[in-house]
Amino acid sequence: MLENLFKDLSLIYPEIIVSVTLLLVVLFDLIYDKNKTIIPYLGLIGLFAALFYSLGSVDIETHAFIIGDTGNKFGLLSLDPFGNYFRIIILITSILIIFFTKSSSEIHSISERSGEFYTLLLGMVLGMMFMVSASDLIMIYISVEILSLSSYVLTGFTKLRDRDSEASLKYLIYGSASSGIMLFGMSLIYGLIGSTNIYEINEVLQTTSINSIIYSFALILIFAGIGFKISAAPFHFWTPDVYEGAPISITAFLSVASKAAGFALLIRFVKVTFLADNIEGNWILLQGFDWQNFLIIISVLTMTLGNFAALWQDNLKRMLAYSSIAHAGYMLLGIAVLTDQGLLAVMIYFLVYLLMNIGAFYIVMIIANNIGSENINDYNKLGSAAPFLGVSLTIFLISLTGLPPTAGFISKLYIFIALLDVKMIAVAVIAVLNSVVSLYYYIRVLKHMFINETDKTVPEIKVSLNDVVFILILLVPTLILGVYFSPIVDFAQAFLSILVN
Amino acid sequence: MLTEFGKIFVFIILAGAFVGIAIFAAMLIRPKRPSHEKDLIYECGENPEGSPWVKFNIRFYVVALIFLIFDVEIVLLFPWALVYKTFGFYGFVAGAIFLLVLFLGMAYEWRKGDLEWARPKINRLELNKLLEKKEQQVS
Repeated sequence: MLENLFKDLSLIYPEIIVSVTLLLVVLFDLIYDKNKTIIPYLGLIGLFAALFYSLGSVDIETHAFIIGDTGNKFGLLSLDPFGNYFRIIILITSILIIFFTKSSSEIHSISERSGEFYTLLLGMVLGMMFMVSASDLIMIYISVEILSLSSYVLTGFTKLRDRDSEASLKYLIYGSASSGIMLFGMSLIYGLIGSTNIYEINEVLQTTSINSIIYSFALILIFAGIGFKISAAPFHFWTPDVYEGAPISITAFLSVASKAAGFALLIRFVKVTFLADNIEGNWILLQGFDWQNFLIIISVLTMTLGNFAALWQDNLKRMLAYSSIAHAGYMLLGIAVLTDQGLLAVMIYFLVYLLMNIGAFYIVMIIANNIGSENINDYNKLGSAAPFLGVSLTIFLISLTGLPPTAGFISKLYIFIALLDVKMIAVAVIAVLNSVVSLYYYIRVLKHMFINETDKTVPEIKVSLNDVVFILILLVPTLILGVYFSPIVDFAQAFLSILVN
Repeated sequence: MLTEFGKIFVFIILAGAFVGIAIFAAMLIRPKRPSHEKDLIYECGENPEGSPWVKFNIRFYVVALIFLIFDVEIVLLFPWALVYKTFGFYGFVAGAIFLLVLFLGMAYEWRKGDLEWARPKINRLELNKLLEKKEQQVS
């Protein structure tokens, strides 16, 4: 039995590589106490190696880490192209974030603690990588906790201002409460069905129909835990405070990678556990709990709340936090349609969202490095002081709104196509109207940067060559994929299959 | 018919009722003569010293946390030792990896000085300067 476990380890090379890198970072931090410059590069090497292995293991589709009796077919992890796709997204994001941290002045101010910083960052990556392939309620809970514990600490890591610690404490309290709620839901499901493996739960549900209130109640409790991670309303209250208080590189990381992992977990949980039949890409879910209407209500609520709250924000980080809540709403619609088309739309959305969101946060960070503020009123006339940053931010924000010819348009287009395919016209109209609302607060930033006059002298903004290269790496795909988007569609299409019963 | 949990529920009610009735019965019979000594907190017969709400040094918590990690280690190693022979070499490797990771944690604590009980090395003069600086910032 233990031999099998060791054999299965060969299936999760990316996770092993990240774990070993994590240990090496701790070791290097201890041995080379004075010189910490090598640590981020060590992390980068590990992440690149993990990415290389993930890209190489496209066709793996199997259950791994089967425990218990010999008759068991389903293990703790299920490795399939879908999980691998999100693993790749998470690894790309974390590689970008390490470059991101290297030019952040917030992170420079804590360079004597950078060993711990990168250890925790890799801990987050590890938790997310297990989250996307976890197929057992226990494994789901543990991976969510690995992710959460590191992110609580990283949120308040810089300790430069009071709001950092406040954000960390809020995140910890909300997070521990929601994971406790999720655990309660899981225990109820175990009590009803007698198994923690989501494939076995599916087998039981297919033969016996459970219609009790406790069953629906337990599923809503589990959704509360996952909804906290993807900041879906009404579990989104932590997002603005935490995103505002955290160091901006961690904010960008939380808004992309942690959300991607949460979505992967939600999609796998919904599709595997409740799938009765799959007719030409339409998922027929089991009776007992109406996932479709539940997710539609949640997503409409999420994007409306996110967009309308963003209208009043003067802090750019806070505004982007609300905008990321709104984006979670659009992406939830992609799940709510319960088709492979919707799943494809979510996967494309994440790839595009990665580019534009990290890009927008990066420019906000450069400006904050120079003028020491994220307030929109300090952005007056910055567009003429730093034209490259101004134009790049314009493109990223237009892409976040979802206007052509940027990649953001393509990602929204696929969501709407998926909605129209299943005749959910009313929901599609609400989503389009929400996009119109979002236009206001994105364009407001541009108005401040290019049109508004200011009495203060516009500070000089230094943009290094590294910054230009980093922004171009994100900017060029954002523009090209808006016009020529078949590569990402083909790429996502290749990773569409989820291992189901 | 009672389920298994139903029996436990009846047991809980009976236990609560037993305590309640015993105290109530005692209250009816016993003489009532309160005094200062009787109101004091019971500290093994000694007179209590000071308030129980004292602040503990944060270093106690660090030591407690470190202790907890190694406590969990022991809990996990007992079952491992029990099935050690059936798992053979692979079991040894798995246990060794677990211990190595824990050892790394131990080395980390040691190197970062969390095991030392020394007072923070900051003399009075510097401390006063720091405090003044902080006051200026506040005002």
